[in-house]
Amino acid sequence: MTKKKILVVEDEATLHRALLEFLTSEGFEVFSALDGEEGIEITKTKKPDLVLLDIILPKKDGYEVLDELKKNPETKSIPVILLTNLESAEDIQKAFEKGATTYLVKSSYKLEDVVKKIKETLKM
Amino acid sequence: MQFINDLNLKKQAEELGVKIWQTPGFMFIIMGIVAFIVMTATFLISRNYDDPKVLVLAESIVAGIIIIVGNSVVRIVGEIASVNKMKSEFVSVVSHQLRTPLSAIKWETELLLSKLRKGLNEKQLKNIETIGSLSCRMTRLVNDLLDVTRIDQKRLVLKYEPVDLAAIIEKTIAESESLLSSRNIELIFSNNKKNPKVIGDQERLKLVVDNLLNNAIKYTTQKGKIEIKLTKSGGDLVFSVRDNGVGIPEEQHSQVFSKFFRSDNVVKYQTEGTGLGLYIAKNIVEQLGGKIWFQSIENVGSIFSFSLPVKKKSFIKEKKLFDNFN
Repeated sequence: MTKKKILVVEDEATLHRALLEFLTSEGFEVFSALDGEEGIEITKTKKPDLVLLDIILPKKDGYEVLDELKKNPETKSIPVILLTNLESAEDIQKAFEKGATTYLVKSSYKLEDVVKKIKETLKM
Repeated sequence: MQFINDLNLKKQAEELGVKIWQTPGFMFIIMGIVAFIVMTATFLISRNYDDPKVLVLAESIVAGIIIIVGNSVVRIVGEIASVNKMKSEFVSVVSHQLRTPLSAIKWETELLLSKLRKGLNEKQLKNIETIGSLSCRMTRLVNDLLDVTRIDQKRLVLKYEPVDLAAIIEKTIAESESLLSSRNIELIFSNNKKNPKVIGDQERLKLVVDNLLNNAIKYTTQKGKIEIKLTKSGGDLVFSVRDNGVGIPEEQHSQVFSKFFRSDNVVKYQTEGTGLGLYIAKNIVEQLGGKIWFQSIENVGSIFSFSLPVKKKSFIKEKKLFDNFN
């Protein structure tokens, strides 16, 4: 079975590294982007099976990235999981309106649970 | 004067953090009085002077005064709105800034304990576990503070979904197992298997049960006994936790659910605790359409209970928005 491809868009170095390490050891092929623009570019070129997206990002924020990915016919069917520490009603609502598949709050999710959500979304 | 009392300017001023004369309510009263006085004056003037110039002048003055007062009302309302916006922005910034490093600690320790545990000895693993559980405690504290701010701003968002309260209770008990055995506390959970689900917010209800059970454990001395019950009563499911702990002095019963409350008899020997747990629990339960109450006798024990509605149609509407948010 080919490895599922995941793109991690996260600017915080420590969080980024932890995600990368955990996902790789779980058998995913992981790509990484450190800002919104890079996130959009890599999604277009690598066509990941799923995007893990932070909201507060340099250059383009998570909402803008989500907007662009959902507007583009080539990327619009790729599921996007928002992984952030914002959790106001507005943020959550905005995320779903823009087409996010699900919304996870970093501080209340273990890496193990994040992986569980990814597998659920990819029906693995 | 009843009308003015109804406006409750003092309360409004306190809530908005401004002086009484600066509250929008007060400004509107002033505006009304000014309008009334100048209208009467204009009427009197126009009766005694038949000159249209005087009338125009008087009306211009009226218009001028109303514009000035109205303008300050608008300005004050604007200022208050921007202060409120700053408050919620502050919450959002704090939440992000504090939680990012906390998430990092949490994930790093999880990595160490799962993928990278090879080569670590028993003692090192124990130390890492301690770091992990302390970072969880800190996250909880930050979350509690954020919840309190949201409650105070009436911006706490809850999901309305069918929730299996018994499962939540069992999970909470399982997590408290080591604490219970280290304190030599016996715990009994009596549950009627046929109990229906309630409508509520899974994560927040876990927090409520956690807070109540934790209090029972924390304030029960060695060899205590804790009893949890889940019973159906009319259209409600009632949770109660009874302990034979230190209890709450009667003169402090009225403050139990207030923010930062900690009873006198526990502050002396229990330094851990913020006094936020019951305040948050009360607000969550009430926002979900339930009730929370307690009975307590000092040195005998306490019973804390809450009830939640079993499926209510009016709640279902609100559920849709957060269907995917788990």
